[in-house]
Amino acid sequence: MKAVFTFSLMTLRMLFRKRTLWGILLVILLALAGIAAVPSFDVSNQGRFVLDFGLFGIEVGALLLALGLAANLYPRDRETRTLMPLIAVPLSRWQYLLGRFFGAALIQAAALLVTCLGLMLILLFHKLPIPGDLLPATLLIIVEGWFLLSTVFFFSFFTSPPLNWPLTTMLFIVSQMSVSEFVGILPSAPGLMRAVRMLLPHADVFHIKDPIAHGFEIEPVYFLIAIFYGLCYSAFMLSVALAVFRGRDLK
Amino acid sequence: MRWLACSLALFIVFSVGSGCRTDYDIADVAPEEHLESEDHHDHDHDHEHENEHEHSIDEEMEEAHAEGPSGHVHGAGERNHGTQWFFNQPWAAPFIWGKLFRDALTFLFLAVGIFLVTRRRRKI
Repeated sequence: MKAVFTFSLMTLRMLFRKRTLWGILLVILLALAGIAAVPSFDVSNQGRFVLDFGLFGIEVGALLLALGLAANLYPRDRETRTLMPLIAVPLSRWQYLLGRFFGAALIQAAALLVTCLGLMLILLFHKLPIPGDLLPATLLIIVEGWFLLSTVFFFSFFTSPPLNWPLTTMLFIVSQMSVSEFVGILPSAPGLMRAVRMLLPHADVFHIKDPIAHGFEIEPVYFLIAIFYGLCYSAFMLSVALAVFRGRDLK
Repeated sequence: MRWLACSLALFIVFSVGSGCRTDYDIADVAPEEHLESEDHHDHDHDHEHENEHEHSIDEEMEEAHAEGPSGHVHGAGERNHGTQWFFNQPWAAPFIWGKLFRDALTFLFLAVGIFLVTRRRRKI
């Protein structure tokens, strides 16, 4: 695991220097400031409006960060031929994948925490209350971001970056669909569609912006289950990505 | 291959273990008490609409927008009409948390199974 740790630190330093990270971060923060500037036409609900749309903005930011950080990693390593010497001696393929994933995941988590801090400052600036569950809600979005990151890695092993963006975005959209909506795509095979739907993630597990905006308390055990679900799904996607990567002929 | 067989067996066990259905929406399996707020309240609608004629048209339109389709708002701690979608989310449905846990375990076993099965395929 020392090799994975070292390689993930290298990845972290490399991504920290990339302008993509700072560009996406700036766009998210500007979007949050823009959301707060939009009137809700109801003074008492302005806080709910900003929170609801702000957390949605952070979630979309998680998708942009996952794509911006990871879609190019493997293709560029392969193009610049730095991949071969890496996996020839110091790293095995799973160590390469985990190193890249952990480095990108740490940067993504830090960036999302900055956006959460930005949302808090915007709420403070507009003299709106900051709910106590805002940080746990961001934590769930971070876990969702890790799932998206693992999906981006999965697609990056057999598609080009321009194709990776729409495929990951499509999976992001499908994962928001309910089971009945998904079965509605092919109503003649409900059993098959339900089984396929189970293999796709349930992104609604990570959404707690509605209860936070309306002042509902969420049981701590739910956070644990949701985080566990997200981590297990990310592990599943990474294992599938690794299976594809192990089958690739790199010559 | 042993791991793949074990993973598949566990997948089937977990799938059957929770309500004999692979995947479902909260509204499909919600108990009566979770759904009852929508239709089971006894309201004195006549009483509420007694003084309706005293309001201007503008005020009535404003109220209709603010109060939703049934035209009245419940007190704090009670559900309003037309908000069932809000409570059909995982955070508000503890009866679905077991399924979430089952799904998470299924993915974990599948991940371990895939990792071990593909391990010996290629060195470089």
